[in-house]
Amino acid sequence: MAEGLQKRLQGELEKYQAVQKDYQKYVSARQQLDAQLNENSLVKEELDRLSDGSNVYKMIGPVLVKQDLGEAKQTVQKRIDYISGEIKRHENTIKDLEKKQETHRDNLNKIQHQFQQAQVKAAARA
Amino acid sequence: MAAKQIDLSALNIQQLQQLSQQIDQEIEFFTSSLSQLKMAQQKFVESQDCLGRISPETDGKDVLVPLTSSMYVPGKLSDVSNVLVDIGTGYYVEQEVENAKQYFQRKVDYLTKQMEKLQPILQDKYRTKQAVMEVLQLRVQAQLAAQQQSYAAAAQTGAAKS
Repeated sequence: MAEGLQKRLQGELEKYQAVQKDYQKYVSARQQLDAQLNENSLVKEELDRLSDGSNVYKMIGPVLVKQDLGEAKQTVQKRIDYISGEIKRHENTIKDLEKKQETHRDNLNKIQHQFQQAQVKAAARA
Repeated sequence: MAAKQIDLSALNIQQLQQLSQQIDQEIEFFTSSLSQLKMAQQKFVESQDCLGRISPETDGKDVLVPLTSSMYVPGKLSDVSNVLVDIGTGYYVEQEVENAKQYFQRKVDYLTKQMEKLQPILQDKYRTKQAVMEVLQLRVQAQLAAQQQSYAAAAQTGAAKS
């Protein structure tokens, strides 16, 4: 009885830790996306300030390649949209993981409680 | 920032210690953010200063272009009215000197604003930290006193028995 409980406890703990790891991964990814979104919005703001004939270059590897201003604006806007979408997706995943974490924690507590009770019983019998 | 109010007096010593550690971490994070912002701002100020050296009179002047940190080749300034500015994410923009100066001024102002936002948060953290430390100290003292009292009481009952 006690052995089975211990196995369950171990299994549940491993699951909980896996979820926790996932959660941390997504949170840090979310922070990175936030930083990227911020940088891209600043770039967009700068591009919007430019007059139409301005020369815009894009750094590709070590070379600067001339680009059309409208095209550059579009690219940055697309990136902003994509990153915003990603942020939303990540946020949902983070929420899901939070819920999962909670259920795992509850389960853990329950099993731990049972385990302790079993131990007390075993001690009383001995 | 979640505006959660915790009653410090309701926490035990261990929780208080945990809280103070957490606040320490937050303080460290904000301090490093602040210094990073300052460094970034410094770079923009430097670039702005450099722009100040470029004027119509410098047109056609000789310059030494660094190819590596220890090797230079001679060159001539051919265009003093336009500069290329890195605006982030790999985009470079050709701008007139005056516009570029404004660009850097905007960046410096932006960073100043960010720093001004950070400062009160940091100060608030310091205040919270101090409050937590005070309560923690009181708690520890109270516990010590209680311990001594129970020792004294035990000693007395022990003396009464013998």
